[in-house]
Amino acid sequence: MNPAQNTAGIYTADRKVLARNSLKDSFARYLTKSAAVLVLLLLGGVIFALIEGSLPAIKQYGFGFITTERWNPVTEIFGAKAPIYGTVVTSLIAMLIAVPVGIGIAVFITELCPRWLKQPISTAIELLAGIPSIIYGIWGLFILAPLLQRYIQPALIATFEGVPVLEGLFSGPPYGIGILTAGLILSIMVLPFITSITRDVFETVPPMLKESAYGLGCTTWEVVRHVVLPYTRTGVIGGMMLGLGRALGETMAVTFVIGNAHKIGSSLLAPGTTISASIANEFTEADGELYTSSLIALGLILFVITFIVLAAARLMLLRLDKKAGK
Amino acid sequence: MKDRSNIQLPSTAVPPDGGKHPRGMADLKEKISVRDLCFYYGESMALKHISLPIYEKTVTAFIGPSGCGKSTLLRTLNRMYDLYPKQRASGEVLLDGHNILAGGQDLNLLRARIGMVFQKPTPFPMSIYENIAFGIRLYEKISRAEMDERVEDALKRTALWDEVKDKLHSSGMSLSGGQQQRLCIARTIAVRPQVILLDEPTSALDPISTAKIEELIYQLKADYTIVIVTHNMQQAARVADFTAFMYLGELGEYGSTDQIFTKPKEKRTEDYITGRFG
Amino acid sequence: MSATQTSSRYKRRKVYHYLAMALAFIATGMGLLALAWILGTLLWKGFGSLSWDVFSQMTPPPGESGGLLNAIYGSLVQTILATLVGTPIGIAAGTYMAEYGRNTKLTTTVRFINDILLSAPSIVVGLFVYEIMVAPMGHFSAWAGVAALSILILPVVVRTTEDMLLLVPDSLREAASALGAPRYLVIRKVCYGAAKAGLMTGVLLAVARISGETAPLLFTSLNNQFWSTDMNAPMANLPVVIFQFALSPYPDWQKLAWVGALIITLTVLTLNILARTLISTRKQQN
Repeated sequence: MNPAQNTAGIYTADRKVLARNSLKDSFARYLTKSAAVLVLLLLGGVIFALIEGSLPAIKQYGFGFITTERWNPVTEIFGAKAPIYGTVVTSLIAMLIAVPVGIGIAVFITELCPRWLKQPISTAIELLAGIPSIIYGIWGLFILAPLLQRYIQPALIATFEGVPVLEGLFSGPPYGIGILTAGLILSIMVLPFITSITRDVFETVPPMLKESAYGLGCTTWEVVRHVVLPYTRTGVIGGMMLGLGRALGETMAVTFVIGNAHKIGSSLLAPGTTISASIANEFTEADGELYTSSLIALGLILFVITFIVLAAARLMLLRLDKKAGK
Repeated sequence: MKDRSNIQLPSTAVPPDGGKHPRGMADLKEKISVRDLCFYYGESMALKHISLPIYEKTVTAFIGPSGCGKSTLLRTLNRMYDLYPKQRASGEVLLDGHNILAGGQDLNLLRARIGMVFQKPTPFPMSIYENIAFGIRLYEKISRAEMDERVEDALKRTALWDEVKDKLHSSGMSLSGGQQQRLCIARTIAVRPQVILLDEPTSALDPISTAKIEELIYQLKADYTIVIVTHNMQQAARVADFTAFMYLGELGEYGSTDQIFTKPKEKRTEDYITGRFG
Repeated sequence: MSATQTSSRYKRRKVYHYLAMALAFIATGMGLLALAWILGTLLWKGFGSLSWDVFSQMTPPPGESGGLLNAIYGSLVQTILATLVGTPIGIAAGTYMAEYGRNTKLTTTVRFINDILLSAPSIVVGLFVYEIMVAPMGHFSAWAGVAALSILILPVVVRTTEDMLLLVPDSLREAASALGAPRYLVIRKVCYGAAKAGLMTGVLLAVARISGETAPLLFTSLNNQFWSTDMNAPMANLPVVIFQFALSPYPDWQKLAWVGALIITLTVLTLNILARTLISTRKQQN
């Protein structure tokens, strides 16, 4: 092959081939671009559909929708206060448990665990995130709730009797199901999210930083407390918010164990409801425009809350990424 | 620098615009002419008013300390920079008299005519055979038998055939580093380009693989115009007919390799070549 | 500072250290215990009632025995169709973000929005599909279920596609371009080839995610006690059947709910583990 023969192929590549190539290329570009735009439109569509669907309820009740506790399909008086309360309180309980446990696991994995155990333990914890939420629900209802009812809740009631504030939180008959049980289930469900993000951000700490602290004679705990945690603060908070976003929107597991009562009880042992549980339970049975619309309005509220929480989480994680120079 | 026995270099110092060449200077034709080329990464200027000729069927080496712009210069010759936003060039790069920097170019066709081999071997995630057939198929419609022939030819020219003929359909990544790099060169010449750009092609390889590739470059010179960027001055001295010394984005000195290495005109060139900096 | 002071101070630090480490250890134990407990319960309750009938009989009316055939079929069909719809769109969007539109404003925005959709409550997606499909059409349908699941699959695929394509070194793209390959071929032949394992992982994870989804199906495909292959009619699916049967007072139904739960969990966890092994073999190759 010498270049004298180089007359074939690319040197005679006719205009058609080139035109077809550039046509295909711009086709591919626009095709993929429209797919990307579709993702944006979907979010816009979700928001629009929710607002549209909740208009009748908003017109009817206005701002009072959020502050009314009553939920009565017969008289068509709907208020979102109880589900909002339930959503917030169950999520807070979940965070209260899952955050320290999740950070603990992350510390164990990054600082204590022998190398060969790291991957198996991480995988096991992450498998918790793979278990479908309905499984948590059925497990919670048939296994956890009876256990709580029989042993834990009576013990809580007995322990906190006479203690101001706490007495009120743990009072009333032990139903087994209720706000506390829902919070507990949620804490298991968000644990893997908090753990894996915390572990990831812990691993962004430059080894030099940790080594220099160890070099000063710090214990592992002091390194975690004074070097790792301050360095990764935004990331850890971002991970917590992500977990919170999950907890707020979780539906099926909560629906099983919350008790579905549109009431705000003073006790954590009392049954309650959350936004998503109300929708899951009542939506298919809702008759009348106002009933359906009120449930969609609940959905809108849930979406707005989770949007804010998730957006905040993402922004925080993004900031950490920038710091890590990713 | 001493091991030049197998490569005929211009015996006397020649200025770029004239002098003696192995084939006789009269034969020398400017394949590429770079004229007043400037290159920008965003706001910062990486190449400053470069002008130099690249002669057909010779090897031209770009040398210089790291960050001097030698790779950047190479990447303007096939407009590789066009893949990235905020990178632009001004001036002229004439390929057979046509300015490739001008708009309206079909970049894919341009790049098919000017092959490029990179610092690290870049086998595609496909079989050895497909690695080579991929490029051919882009612009040519040929029969299966013809394709087999072309693949074999390319592999033979890069002395890879005997090593891989029994495993043409296993992954290109299964080869050793040196074999991978020769596969990349085979892939490049299979497309039958006119110019081959080599961007530090041996910097990731062991000495034996390096020697094989240098030998290959010497053979390819018979048919192709070759431009090589290297940080290894001995390599430039061994393989190149002409050498351009780059410094801080400027063309420090250009001339026949012999002249640059034995009688550099500029103090900086001499300092670099004798290892006083770099 | 005397020696005794130093040592007592050091002792106190040691105590804190051991306390904290013990707590971390306990936390890990709690996490693992939760996993073992849930899986153990499922195996215990589910295997007991597992029989051939489960795969050959329809869901029964209360008080009778039966199986889950129609629900399994419905879940399979809806999951597969949703994957077929969601995956190409997701891969296309991810491709734009990593290839054509890298670092553009659109990409940054889409990435942000996509991450939010990724964690958005699935029940809201169900409401959305209800509003745009079920309400206008006037009835629940399997297609609506497919639509809801497609929307859930999309963000997972978008995210992994972008991530995996960004892991493909630019030198590979340059090498393909240097041969004169147009961009679409560079992407299709070279980038997809190099990211194949990662892309598969994304799809597997996405399938795992939707195969256990219940909430969005509650008011899209609803449920169907009978065998139905009509995509315009309500269609049974495992999660919703589990939901209904578990909350029912009938022991037969509850048993079937546990079996269904076992089937779903094993499927989802298998997909998860498969996805993980794909990723780790990929890492070893590089």
